[in-house]
Amino acid sequence: MTVVQRRFPDQKEEALFVPEMARITRAENLTATDKLFEIELPGKRDLGHKPGQFVQVSIFGFGEAPVSISSSPARKGSFELCVRRMGGLTSKLHAMGAGDTVGIRGPLGNGFPMEDFEGADCLIVSGGIGMAPLRSVVDTIVANRDRFGRMMLLYGNRTPADILFPDDLKKWAADDRNQVLVAIDRPAEGWTGHVGVVTTLFQHIKLDTSRRTVAAVVGPPVMYRFVYAELTALHLPHDHIYLSLERRMKCGVGKCGNCQINGKYVCIDGPVFTGAEVQQFQESI
Amino acid sequence: MAPVRRGKTSFDFQWIDDPSQVVFEYVRTVMPPKKAIWPVHDTMLEFDLKKQQASPVLDETPFVLFGIHACDLKGINQLDWAMGQRHGVPDPHYLARRKAATIVGMESMPDEYCFCTSVGSCETREGADLFLTPVESSYFVEVLSVKGEALAKQAPELREATGDEVAAAKAFIEKKKRSTTLKINGEMGELPDLLEPRYQTEVFESTAQRCYGCGTCTNVCPTCFCFDVDDQVDLLLQSGTRGRTYDSCQFQDFAIVAGGHNFRGERTDRVRHRWFRKFVYLLREHGTPFCIGCGRCSKSCTAGISLVDVLNSVLDEARKEVVR
Repeated sequence: MTVVQRRFPDQKEEALFVPEMARITRAENLTATDKLFEIELPGKRDLGHKPGQFVQVSIFGFGEAPVSISSSPARKGSFELCVRRMGGLTSKLHAMGAGDTVGIRGPLGNGFPMEDFEGADCLIVSGGIGMAPLRSVVDTIVANRDRFGRMMLLYGNRTPADILFPDDLKKWAADDRNQVLVAIDRPAEGWTGHVGVVTTLFQHIKLDTSRRTVAAVVGPPVMYRFVYAELTALHLPHDHIYLSLERRMKCGVGKCGNCQINGKYVCIDGPVFTGAEVQQFQESI
Repeated sequence: MAPVRRGKTSFDFQWIDDPSQVVFEYVRTVMPPKKAIWPVHDTMLEFDLKKQQASPVLDETPFVLFGIHACDLKGINQLDWAMGQRHGVPDPHYLARRKAATIVGMESMPDEYCFCTSVGSCETREGADLFLTPVESSYFVEVLSVKGEALAKQAPELREATGDEVAAAKAFIEKKKRSTTLKINGEMGELPDLLEPRYQTEVFESTAQRCYGCGTCTNVCPTCFCFDVDDQVDLLLQSGTRGRTYDSCQFQDFAIVAGGHNFRGERTDRVRHRWFRKFVYLLREHGTPFCIGCGRCSKSCTAGISLVDVLNSVLDEARKEVVR
């Protein structure tokens, strides 16, 4: 039997898995393993994302990988992705620069419910590359400063050389409504700041118990249980804790099953889950 | 595509060009008819590396899927939902082939691996355009759709069934039900609540000790739909395709993330996931289990693990707990 395969270019429903071709307009090495890409969609169209959402980045011949969006939704005409070199696709991406083309599908996922952060003190807990999506959250808070309460950012890193967005950290720390605490895991030459894993930063913050505090947590898989214990010790209610969970992802649209956590799909139901949900799902953290 | 004989006792769905290849009496095929609508490897996109453009590949070639048992029809219905309206994201590649299919169903008799009566799939007609039930030396034909009607019109030998023939067809199905002796000890609706508290049951641990993690059970499953996506580039590095291949939650690396952390690192976690996905998560979400009682997984399992035995062991445990 001959199989006739027909093609349907430029048709939305048929194009579920077809990425939109976008241009890298700027690329900057942030650390030895992390690179920041500024990306423009055709016609400089805004991506229209929420903080905490992600896109599927496509390089033909290499595949697709989910990458969280690093820039604020308020940014016009382009968006930023911070990519750690991990495997085939991200290595290829690291070899690319301004003028190169990548495919983009998204924004995908739910993102952080920033409306719930409004009026509350915001506790942002980041481990390593977790800063990439959280930068979008912090930028949103900073850009609409009066709509949010105090912001406390706890940011853990392996070494001083791994710290992402140092200029942003300085800018955020300059406002006395923001408390920015950065830690490195082990003592390093020239480092005069805090030493210890991210959970050791909790001793330096004090929650205002008369106010609502909402937490946003993103970091490596190993971090969540320990951070969650700290947040519980601070008496934060489970539904005031938001965690962005990482899973392997292929389709991004709730089909392929790779990102499933018990009955939930990270790509559709997440990546951001409340502490209440996380408590319910044994496979979550 | 129709069932053909592959070995002494094995059958498989194959594209045929000669009707004499069709086997009318078979218990089950090795692979389910899913592969007609969703091939093991399915091309989704074609891309041009120079132009950096991609276009979707949709196969709308009309075809007939012949000899589909009631349980396998149910399997197709489950996939229609999973790849159709689930999450409000219709999958164009699946649906293109599904719309191009004309499905002719066929009644059958069970063997010791069959348990369609337990999962509510033994009288499925939905999704079929025609359905055949053996009656004496001919077939009782149910015409179930416009497509089926068009097909029936091409068979001048079809005539209105007599009352006796209708009764004989009913009797065939009753006999099938009576002959289906393997049972799940529970109603489908109660399974999620019975299984969920048994998350840590020793049954999954001992099953995991026997399981090789080969993924055969999910590969032969008519309702499994997890897939991996990969790119293939031509030798001249000018163009290529992006396609998907059946994946398996039973593979060790299924839930590994980029940093190397495995969210289902223990085989017990992966074994549990298979039963929970079929009888807790998707059953709760869709109202029917993602199992059609075809017995393929149990029959094919290299370690001889029976899906029903494992499920019944957990249910027995759950009931004892309730009584205590």
